[in-house]
Amino acid sequence: MTDRPDRRPPPTARTAVGGPARRRRARRPGAVGGLVRRTATHVGLVLLALVMLYPVLWMVVSSLRPNDTIFRDSGLLLTDLRTSNYTDGWDALAAPFGHYLVNSAIVVAGCIIGNLVSCALAAYAFARLDFAGRRWWFAIMLGTIMLPIHVIIVPQYVLFSQLGWVNTFLPLVVPKMLATDAFFVFLMVQFIRGLPRELDEAARIDGCGHPRIFLRIVLPLMTPALATTAIFTFIWTWNDFFSQLIYLTDPQMYTVPVALRSFVDSTVATSWGSMFAMSVVSLIPVFLAFLLGQRYLIRGIATTGGK
Amino acid sequence: MPPHLTRRAALVALVSLTAGTALAACGGGSDASQDLSDEPVTLRFTWWGSDARHERTRRVIELFQKAHPTITVTGEFKEWNGYWDSLATTVAANDAPDVIQMDELYLASYAERGALLDLGTARRHLTTADFDADALATGAIDGKQYGLPVGLAIYSVVVNTDLLTRYGVALPDDATWTWEDLTRLGAQVSRAGGGTVTGVQAWGFDTGGLTLWARQAGAALYDDAGDVAIPPQVLAGYWQYLADLTRQGIAPPASVTVERASGALDQSGLATNASAFATWWNTQLTSLATASGSQLRLLRFPGEAQSATPGAYYKPSMFWSVSARSRHPAEAALFVDFLANNEEAAAILQTDRGVPANTKIRNAIAGQLSPTDRAALEYLDSVPVTAPPRVTPKGASGVEAILKRYTEQVLFGRTTPEQAAKDFIAELQREIDAA
Amino acid sequence: MSALGELRRLRAPGARTRRHRDNRAAFLFLSPWFAGLLLITAGPIAVSFLLGFTDYNLIQPPAFTGLDNVTRMLSDERLHQSLGVTVTYVLVSVPLQLACALGLAMLLDRGLRGLAFYRSAFYLPSLLGSSVAIAVLWRQIFGADGLVNQLLDVVGVAGRGWISDPGTALSTLVVLNVWTFGAPMVIFLAGLRQIPVMYYEAAAVDGASRWTQFRRITVPLLSPIIFFNLVLQIIHAFQSFTQAFVVSGGSGGPSDSTLFATLYLYQRGFNNFDMGYASALAWLLLAIIAVFTAVNFWAAKYWVFYDD
Repeated sequence: MTDRPDRRPPPTARTAVGGPARRRRARRPGAVGGLVRRTATHVGLVLLALVMLYPVLWMVVSSLRPNDTIFRDSGLLLTDLRTSNYTDGWDALAAPFGHYLVNSAIVVAGCIIGNLVSCALAAYAFARLDFAGRRWWFAIMLGTIMLPIHVIIVPQYVLFSQLGWVNTFLPLVVPKMLATDAFFVFLMVQFIRGLPRELDEAARIDGCGHPRIFLRIVLPLMTPALATTAIFTFIWTWNDFFSQLIYLTDPQMYTVPVALRSFVDSTVATSWGSMFAMSVVSLIPVFLAFLLGQRYLIRGIATTGGK
Repeated sequence: MPPHLTRRAALVALVSLTAGTALAACGGGSDASQDLSDEPVTLRFTWWGSDARHERTRRVIELFQKAHPTITVTGEFKEWNGYWDSLATTVAANDAPDVIQMDELYLASYAERGALLDLGTARRHLTTADFDADALATGAIDGKQYGLPVGLAIYSVVVNTDLLTRYGVALPDDATWTWEDLTRLGAQVSRAGGGTVTGVQAWGFDTGGLTLWARQAGAALYDDAGDVAIPPQVLAGYWQYLADLTRQGIAPPASVTVERASGALDQSGLATNASAFATWWNTQLTSLATASGSQLRLLRFPGEAQSATPGAYYKPSMFWSVSARSRHPAEAALFVDFLANNEEAAAILQTDRGVPANTKIRNAIAGQLSPTDRAALEYLDSVPVTAPPRVTPKGASGVEAILKRYTEQVLFGRTTPEQAAKDFIAELQREIDAA
Repeated sequence: MSALGELRRLRAPGARTRRHRDNRAAFLFLSPWFAGLLLITAGPIAVSFLLGFTDYNLIQPPAFTGLDNVTRMLSDERLHQSLGVTVTYVLVSVPLQLACALGLAMLLDRGLRGLAFYRSAFYLPSLLGSSVAIAVLWRQIFGADGLVNQLLDVVGVAGRGWISDPGTALSTLVVLNVWTFGAPMVIFLAGLRQIPVMYYEAAAVDGASRWTQFRRITVPLLSPIIFFNLVLQIIHAFQSFTQAFVVSGGSGGPSDSTLFATLYLYQRGFNNFDMGYASALAWLLLAIIAVFTAVNFWAAKYWVFYDD
């Protein structure tokens, strides 16, 4: 791996993987057979991609249709192109939709920072430190994500309203600062366990304490895992509905998922066009985050467990 | 983390542990008949709906604030499902909004547990003089006015006259038509529609249709004590009729019916011009007409002329309620008064929350309405109704979910109407007893 | 086989000299997590546990009812239905989703051009998986007038409303879950790229079939990732809520055929003001998930390879 320090001893098979140049090649059958097979694979994959993307395409097409024809003529063919859903949807709620995008962005930023710091710290302890009851604490940590949120939300709301945190972003962000998202702790634990122990043993012999080993050795090596966490946190927080619905009651504080749902009410007619248009708008940041981050995502998880 | 902070936070955690028991004790103490405060007051006002309603309501709030500069109203809007989750959570945490848009299904569940203010104690700031006694009664439980009806609606049959014309089916005379007539006309449409259009969009997923059916038989879903009172054979007859429509192809196949019933209004058979007759609240006519793009007409329910007492009744579209734990009940009552009685506000709200229950307001806005809204209003004024049914009892807030489940089982032939009737009654009664 | 020798070397256990030598450092590193556990997580979790022994309607104070909620579970047919639905869903959708993710990842890992495009295309649905728009989109595919029926119509087969038929509704949710296989696929893809080519080359020289290579090289070397995906997808599938909620309009219908356990306890808690019982149900669900996870961790000893 290019991001590994050179002094790293080569004890495991991973070092056999070089840079991209030494990537495994596909089997090399005869030239013509290979071409046919490759083409067939591509055709199959493109078809599969089309099938998988059909709902997404339908949504995009519908967002360009007049509201009252969305359900009367379905299908992907557009007869005329309307962008009014975008302009209407943008201004349909109490604030311009951009306001909700900004709110979501603030929450997402807070959650990403929180998860990165706190989960990395906890993961280092679980992966590298030898302490009393380690396995039990780990089990408890996993246990905390096994209880459905619906029975925790009421007592948690009481707690946060006593603290005066309702209608702020604190109930959404502070828990992330305190490593309550066990998924990422687990992910990082798996990652750190993949790093060669010889590195920190060597540092320890040099007189480094755990804080230094963590900061100087483990943290730089797990940059890719941090990227993974950042991207997943982005996507999940961006889409999370229930807790944002409960804790943000003032429309000025609404985030994207809460705002999107207030387009839809089953008891009256819904502005589907606006809803689809704003869904498309809200999908763009997450998709961009994925596009930009996928390089790190691959490298990140690659190093996590590939051995 | 400094130790004292940890201790304080631990204390808070402990408080939350006992919170459940502590909460109910710290409510109350408010008096809705006191003077309005001279100090600035902030009211929280919550409702469900979609974007069109949010916009109208926002304008009404601005109007109110202009008239009462010391009072600030923050609006909190949600869609239907999220609304009830959020409301239950805030009520449980003693953090409920002051003014609450309430539904008939949930009124008793909140009121009888002490969450809502008796608006009768707020007469000083809230007048109800322009409401019919019958209308007011829909929001009263044991003589206490927990909800002020906002709009009224009557369960009705909506027919797509364009489809009838296309298939050469005569429009029935709804003053005399019978259930057999609906079957017959529906069959004609289905035959002419050749599979793509069916005569009737089957119902049975909301309480309106069932209540009306029961009332035509001289029965009721609940008795005055709030127990389930519908005779099993009446209920079985109801499902038998629906099952027959489906079996004969007058209504679409069960899976199509269920799919459309669980979708939004715009996806229904009537709204997509796939069924000619359907049952809706009369106030939904405008939404349906917009969605379908066809000529629609409101008809009275079949069988009304033949039954001893007509089944039609006023259903409150929703209520204005005030939290029993509001710290500003007088101002909250004043705001409700504005919503219910102010003509300028009514001119903005129009029929978005139903045809106004306030008769003076109803007359005042009649001239400003769209043709379909006016048709809905005229329907409300012209259909003979009898005294409204009892409000959904505490514990029965899930009645529509139960009804929907048994209707599905009957339509899919997984149970007989008789068995479903027995099970439905037993299950609903269990919920009421447990509450 | 050289790969297997290599594997054996990987499993050499790390030496442990003293018991719990890092207690103090661990406390330091875990202090945010401990603080979160103490201040935010533990209280509400404990409250929900206690509420499980009460009758609590959210508005009035809870009343202690002992084990009533537990005895009530025994005769609660909708609970039994919901557990059946949930377990079926977990057992069918998790393996399918992971198999699709792994299969596609292996297909894409053959040095194809346009990898970034395919990866994004297959990942995009995961971004949309819990959106409110899904309710409508899924109907466009599996509804009575949806894409599936239009295709069936071409070949002359009569379709039905797949979402609304109690016999097929759960299957459409399984498909929905499989449709979002992008996230585990991306993770698998990453893992596959790390497996050294030389293992496969050596195996090919030894004349091992593709299946043998998959079984003997890919699976062991990918095992920590498979394990990670398996554990978390199972936990997620047991807690599956949003998709069924959105597609069935919150009912778990038709006829309770998509009534996931979380959906049922949500209905009890919020629609029926029955939060005491809902809390008890949540703890029952937690116990079931914990058992599955414990079995998973226990079984991991036999098939997951680490090198620390």
